[in-house]
Amino acid sequence: MIEFSDVGLRYGNGPEILRDLTFKIEPGTFYFLTGPSGAGKTSLLRLLLLSLKPTRGRVTMFGEDVSHLTQDRLLQMRRHIGIVFQEFRLLDHLTTYENVALPLRVLGQAESEYRGNVTELLDWVGLGERMDALPSLLSGGEKQRAAIARAVIARPKVLLADEPTGNVDPDLSSRLVHLFAELNRTLGMTIILATHELPLLDRFSYPRMVLNKGELEIHG
Amino acid sequence: MASLIDRLPLRIPLPNRGAPIVPDRSVAGRTLMLLIAIMTFLSAVTLGGVVLVQKSAISWSAEVGREVTIQIRPVDGEVMESNLRTAVSLAEATPGVASARALSLEESEDLLEPWLGAGLDLSAIEIPRLVAVELSDPVDADIPSLERDLQAIKGASLDTHAAWRQQLNTMAGTIVLSGLLVLALIAVATVLAIIFATRGTMASNREIVDVLHFIGASNGFIAGEFQGRFLAIGLRGGVIGGVAAILFFLLVGTAVGSMVPEAASAQVGIFFGQFVLGLDGIIGIALVVIVIAGLTAITSRMTVRRFLSQTS
Repeated sequence: MIEFSDVGLRYGNGPEILRDLTFKIEPGTFYFLTGPSGAGKTSLLRLLLLSLKPTRGRVTMFGEDVSHLTQDRLLQMRRHIGIVFQEFRLLDHLTTYENVALPLRVLGQAESEYRGNVTELLDWVGLGERMDALPSLLSGGEKQRAAIARAVIARPKVLLADEPTGNVDPDLSSRLVHLFAELNRTLGMTIILATHELPLLDRFSYPRMVLNKGELEIHG
Repeated sequence: MASLIDRLPLRIPLPNRGAPIVPDRSVAGRTLMLLIAIMTFLSAVTLGGVVLVQKSAISWSAEVGREVTIQIRPVDGEVMESNLRTAVSLAEATPGVASARALSLEESEDLLEPWLGAGLDLSAIEIPRLVAVELSDPVDADIPSLERDLQAIKGASLDTHAAWRQQLNTMAGTIVLSGLLVLALIAVATVLAIIFATRGTMASNREIVDVLHFIGASNGFIAGEFQGRFLAIGLRGGVIGGVAAILFFLLVGTAVGSMVPEAASAQVGIFFGQFVLGLDGIIGIALVVIVIAGLTAITSRMTVRRFLSQTS
């Protein structure tokens, strides 16, 4: 599904942030992406999100070399990838329901088509009672669950999460990772979850992609 | 006015829409709307002025072109009254002439009064006399033939007012061209203002644009979200400016009617046309409103798309 071959990335004329990344991720797998701050986790996620192109090497996603994609094809591929951010990035003027429904609106679906699915998903992540609330009225955990719901509502093949537990307490962190695990198990979604919280990783047995000074090792 | 403005849509309603993705308050709407209202007002007033001058020039030119004047200067040994009668006869015999009339001595004196003052006895001196010739058809009138026939009368000459008409047309053409240039400059200024406002709006909504990109929105979708908002601002501003222009014309028309005496008003009307906004004027202002609103929508869409192609 995702294959990196000798991939390197640098910004402008600066040093290489990522060096010689070579790995393969099969469909339906779950990986933790970890490493110290500044190791390049966010840059690798941006490569996976197709918002950056590698400066060298080859990235293949869903069977296609991404360096030769047209803008339209890139857009279609990006719709197969969901993303969750540490800072949630919900739109403050939209309700929880409207935020979660946004990807389906973007796909051109009418509200009558998606209303049932959005409501069901909000119930599933435990926000059924909060669907009319604005993000400013949600707790950190609720915001992150809304962001996760938004990322998965259009059923992406790959779900990326950039420090999704960074703004919540340890207990809630664990529950959020369980939520990701449930998505992986029930929907077969490929999940790459970036975090630098080692105690959290120890509670789960998923393989780890460890980035250090731009180089990657895979354990487990 | 405020309640009318408030009734205008904040965005153009499209089918199958949920809550607005671009919040209304995030667009620098009120300032841009005011600017578009001012630009629409200026465009409508300039257009009105241009149309007024052009209509008046066409009317003046047609009036003047329908008349030629024979002037007979006093010549020793010639009898003026006899020459006048001959000139009238020659004119009436010319094809395309409707009528010819010699101006009486009193009428000639009246014509000289503005230069020589009233109360002067001109009977002692001989003054040139005029024959007013009205043409039934200015195109087919045989003016060269009349000019040739008048050579038989000593001291007679024909004035077709061609130089005056030429000057009049040149002056009117210059005013019309200047007005069109002003309209073009207003359009350019409007486009520039919309570009700046759109860029500012995009920069302040960068977070929304980024999120939309991350969830797979195309540039066309994002541009559409902003375009509806800007089209509504353009329409609101345009309607306000257009209504203000209509009120301006009504006010000026009323002021001219009440401040200038009736006889003078009639003369002003002859020279400058009437400050009356007819159906064509209202249609013209409506067109200005539509053009400005369209210009706002197109400019903002192009600016948004350029912004997105640079940032995505």
